[in-house]
Amino acid sequence: MIAVEFLTAIFTVLAVISGSALLVLVWLDNRRVRIDDGIANFRRHIDALSPEARRNSVHAGYASDQSEKRRN
Amino acid sequence: MARDLAIDLGTANTLVYMKGRGIVLNEPSVIAVNRQSGEVLATGHDALNMIGRTPSYIAAVRPLRGGAITDFDITERMIRLLLQRVGVSRFTRPKVVICVPSAITEVERRAVTDATRRAGASDAQLIEQPMAAAIGANLPIDEPVGNMVIDIGGGTSETAVISLGGVVELDAVRVGSFDIDVSIQNYVRREHGVAIGEITASEIKVQIGSAEPGPEDRDADIRGRDLVTGLPKTVRLTAEEVRFAIDEPVQAIIDSVKRCLSKAPPELAQDFLARGMYLVGGGGMLRGLAKRIARETDVPVRMSPQPLEAVVLGAGHCIENYQALRGMFMGVRR
Repeated sequence: MIAVEFLTAIFTVLAVISGSALLVLVWLDNRRVRIDDGIANFRRHIDALSPEARRNSVHAGYASDQSEKRRN
Repeated sequence: MARDLAIDLGTANTLVYMKGRGIVLNEPSVIAVNRQSGEVLATGHDALNMIGRTPSYIAAVRPLRGGAITDFDITERMIRLLLQRVGVSRFTRPKVVICVPSAITEVERRAVTDATRRAGASDAQLIEQPMAAAIGANLPIDEPVGNMVIDIGGGTSETAVISLGGVVELDAVRVGSFDIDVSIQNYVRREHGVAIGEITASEIKVQIGSAEPGPEDRDADIRGRDLVTGLPKTVRLTAEEVRFAIDEPVQAIIDSVKRCLSKAPPELAQDFLARGMYLVGGGGMLRGLAKRIARETDVPVRMSPQPLEAVVLGAGHCIENYQALRGMFMGVRR
């Protein structure tokens, strides 16, 4: 009876320690991801403003506007 | 499935860009309503032709002044009609990006987004006009160099320094090409005793208006109503007179450009000397304005190839790259 209670206590302590360790690892991983996200988001933002990225929308817009003017 | 839209809701003109299609609508921001029944009678070019020529039961109005909504209900109905005309129905609710002057207040911003959502948009985001103009004018704003854009619209003029995809400095005044028209109206009334309408004043500005003397200076005959006799009268206006009449609003715009230049960080300021400043917006098309700004600031000024469409094309690019560029929207920016 005493042995069972002792084992339960040990497993409970082990579970709490591993749970906490897991939480710390997840938190650290998330923190790293957030820093990487900032860089990736900024890169995406700048890339979306490059002349190549604007070629389709801005130039297509000009083309569509010109054809509209010709129709009128 | 609704195609997302970008709208340049200007004081003078409204342009709509549809995702994947380009500019699908470009017309004056005017609406004519029946004062008694509240019915909308005309919008755009049809309504513009009615200004100053309507019987008392019809009101042909511009629902925006200085880039801000002056009549919420009429603006909402105008946006609803615009959305219907480009194919938005009750069941297809698009995301909409709207260009607004950076000078508008928090209350005015909320009025624009609320009017757009109530008109049928699933989401309404705002973007500052100079930022959209810089994207649409194809300036290299993705590089760490100073880009300066001057956007002169109907009701506001904004100058912005842009680098690395963001606004570094900005100066805005609620003075635009409508103020230039009003100055012409006031001058003709004061000096010639003749009343003219806003359409006539705008025609004078386009035909003989200028910010600097030039070889194209000429005179024009204008027709209006004699304030003493009440009869129609023709008077002759010279280009010099018009230049004198519009000097106050023109100088206010140039002073705003100078303020923005003086606030710019020195590292970027040297870029302007090499790259120049870019003029966009209908007001920028005033004859001699680029030359005068260049003379007063000692910085070269270039005209954008499509000054009237640059803003909506820039906003259109944001709607095409909604996720990547959502950090640019007002309120989202951190």
